[in-house]
Amino acid sequence: VVSIAGNIERCTALGTGSQYLTNGLTIFLTSEIPCHTLNAVVNKPEKVTAVFAALADPTRRRIVQHLSEQGESRVTALAKPFRISLPAVSRHLRVLENARLIKRRRQGREHLIRSDVAGLEEARKWIAQCAVGWESGFDTLDELLKDAQRSHNEREKAR
Amino acid sequence: MKSEIKVGDNRLQMTRVFDAPRHLVFSFWKEADRLQQWWGCKETSKVECAMDFRVGGSFTCVMQITGAGEFSYKGQYDQIVEPEMIAFHADFGPTTTRVVVEFIDLQSDQGSQTKVVLTQVGFPTQDIFNGVSQGTQEAFDKLDSLLASQVLV
Repeated sequence: VVSIAGNIERCTALGTGSQYLTNGLTIFLTSEIPCHTLNAVVNKPEKVTAVFAALADPTRRRIVQHLSEQGESRVTALAKPFRISLPAVSRHLRVLENARLIKRRRQGREHLIRSDVAGLEEARKWIAQCAVGWESGFDTLDELLKDAQRSHNEREKAR
Repeated sequence: MKSEIKVGDNRLQMTRVFDAPRHLVFSFWKEADRLQQWWGCKETSKVECAMDFRVGGSFTCVMQITGAGEFSYKGQYDQIVEPEMIAFHADFGPTTTRVVVEFIDLQSDQGSQTKVVLTQVGFPTQDIFNGVSQGTQEAFDKLDSLLASQVLV
């Protein structure tokens, strides 16, 4: 769900509800949504974990940022602004590649690197799943509170 | 009423109004036997929590999730202002997540209502998302289809 703050504004109809975005994304969930939040975390946490771990490092974040701004780049060009050795860059690139945050192709002896949205999608989905998970819990809480109120009122009346 | 959900600035924020007085809503976060009744998603069949509900206190929850087995996590309370606010961090998900829950008293003619504002922080990816997503509608389209299909696996 998600993310992407920014200054984009957009309105779309979503079922009977609506969603809009102003400096952040606002969504009104209006229908029952099945919750797979924890299923995903339990069953295949590696993918999301890889993305978060990869992005936890500031150099790797800057590499991803650089690629999104500059487009496809040579490994040597990536190493330069960060003033780190080629082997060090290679290690970072391998981590990013495993997290599916970058893609690599060969042109002769050069390796060309570009960003890959697959990894970000994993992270995005995870955030969406958090939202769905909370909402699902809140639905139950809502019912419980209504029950508690009802029995409280009945007790009051009986007095 | 459903929640209003906002995502941005590294955080997820859920706002929902419950038709119950604040102390009652708060008790469902404070007391383990009450929290266990609603904590977790729809597929959660059983929750067992051990909670030391005080600042610096720890909690552990073990959940049984239909189709996914057992899932457990640990956390710690960072701040508690009864009945206004609870802040905690937990290791659920791929990263340590910080959560702040605010309980706002709403008085109306219909009786007591409580607005709960839950803010989850700890997504290190926001600036990256911004960079990659700028100028593209791709992410929004994905979101649309994600919500439309209502399948979030």
